[in-house]
Amino acid sequence: MNFAIETNGLSKSYGQVRAVDSVNLRVKQGEIYGFLGLNGAGKTTTIRALLGMIRPSAGSVQVLGQAVGPNGRGPWRHVGHLVEAPAAYPELTVRENLDISRRLQGIPDRSAPSRVIERLGLTAYADRKAGALSTGNLQRLGLARALLHEPELLILDEPASGLDPAGVVEIRALLASLAHEKGVTVFMSSHILTEVDRLATRIGIIHEGRLIEELEAEKLEELRSRRLAIRARNLKAAQSALTQAGFAVKANASMLTLNEARAIDAPDEVATILVNAGTPPTRLIVEHENLEDHFLRLTREKE
Amino acid sequence: MNTFLSAFWAETLKARRSKVSQGTTVGFLILPLVGGLFMIILKNPERARAMRLISVKAQLAGGVADWPTYFEILLQGTAIGGAMLFAFITAWVFGREFSDHTAKELLAIPTPRGIIVGAKFVLTAFWILGLTLLSFVIGLGIGTAVGIPGWSLDLVWTSFGSLLLTALLLFMLMPFVALFASAGRGYLPPLGWALSTLAFAQVAGVLGWGDWFPWSVPALVSGMMGPRAEQVGMHSYVLVLLAFIAGLAATFAWWRSADQAR
Repeated sequence: MNFAIETNGLSKSYGQVRAVDSVNLRVKQGEIYGFLGLNGAGKTTTIRALLGMIRPSAGSVQVLGQAVGPNGRGPWRHVGHLVEAPAAYPELTVRENLDISRRLQGIPDRSAPSRVIERLGLTAYADRKAGALSTGNLQRLGLARALLHEPELLILDEPASGLDPAGVVEIRALLASLAHEKGVTVFMSSHILTEVDRLATRIGIIHEGRLIEELEAEKLEELRSRRLAIRARNLKAAQSALTQAGFAVKANASMLTLNEARAIDAPDEVATILVNAGTPPTRLIVEHENLEDHFLRLTREKE
Repeated sequence: MNTFLSAFWAETLKARRSKVSQGTTVGFLILPLVGGLFMIILKNPERARAMRLISVKAQLAGGVADWPTYFEILLQGTAIGGAMLFAFITAWVFGREFSDHTAKELLAIPTPRGIIVGAKFVLTAFWILGLTLLSFVIGLGIGTAVGIPGWSLDLVWTSFGSLLLTALLLFMLMPFVALFASAGRGYLPPLGWALSTLAFAQVAGVLGWGDWFPWSVPALVSGMMGPRAEQVGMHSYVLVLLAFIAGLAATFAWWRSADQAR
């Protein structure tokens, strides 16, 4: 199978520090791959290695079936990227910045910058110097540059960074439409887990340089921990009743939680036990761990 | 060729929009202007005192107001002032990509990195040539306006040739400035390098080894170091050429191979 991105044992060390450690990534074409990790986990180093900006200490990188190697070799005509904070020539306008990119990308179509300016909502700022742009608009300019040549693959480092909430929704919709309508593969790193949760079709979690989990977004539903959360007016009585019924009860000041399948699958029986004990529940709900909780649990487990 | 022209166009656009291009032009034009001022003063010191161009008590040591002296001022000013100004230009052309964090936009694109580096060097060469020509033309205008004696076409051509040779030698020493701007990721390392080489060039010149030290050669050729210019021979030019080739090779290799982790 041809992968849009394939790494084998990708490692990068800086002196004694192993920034990326034996990462094996497989990103299928047309996928939106969410690459999650805490600060310093190795996300940006991985992205720089994918783009040939750094030499791996070990392992190999293939992008769109082509080996990424020294001397900047790679299928860059078909790859758009945004690495870390967006940067632009401050004394040049938005349009001029994009025109430089158009020429360096070898795009003959002179109207390409105008199209992408409109697409990213930068029309009002097209003739404004990049140095005078807000962080959000600079981010849009970075995304515009990544999309200028209509690439098959987008490698984006924190694409929603610096955008306001409306901008985040807009960029999410744009990336989703590119993936769904044009088959563009999107590899995006993020620390905004809800973003990844809503957009990604597959998720990889990197921690301390190692890819500790890779899963389909649908599978996440199954993997996420579930629990039965209970509130009652008399928590102690409720805890006692459930313990007597054989449940392992976890309690805090405001809530009881049951993690066993027999409780999660049959909350009605739990309710009956509590009613019969004279402490009916005021709230009884099966809670799903969200991506954030899942991510934090995983990274804590690995420490 | 198309790729190179695109990269060169991009570099010229960045330079044209920057205040650095105007600043260096104004900076370099000070040279013929100051030279012209010296000519006015030397031509008629009493009148210069009356016009308060110089202090009444000022004693003018040596020098006559004529074309050979004026060209000498232009040439020696280029050798010393140019060495710093050209280094500043080179530091800006290469170092700005790191200072503005735009270097990462030049790495994973279809235009090879070598082409971009080549375009930067060609821009630097044209920039240096443009400033040199401009200062010479303005110098001719100012000299004519001041009405200094000693004009001859032979002198003009000889001086023009020496000026171009000095500028060429200075340009050939710029690749190391570019290397320091790239590897040092900004402006300070290349300017530190330029200042150090300028200082060592003076020391080498004074010690009489200047003809063996590439960074002394432009000053020797310009006559800045007096009769020691006679020491300059083929070996000096070969050493400048070797410094040029080594600097170019190291800069190209750095852009091709170095980790761009920032």
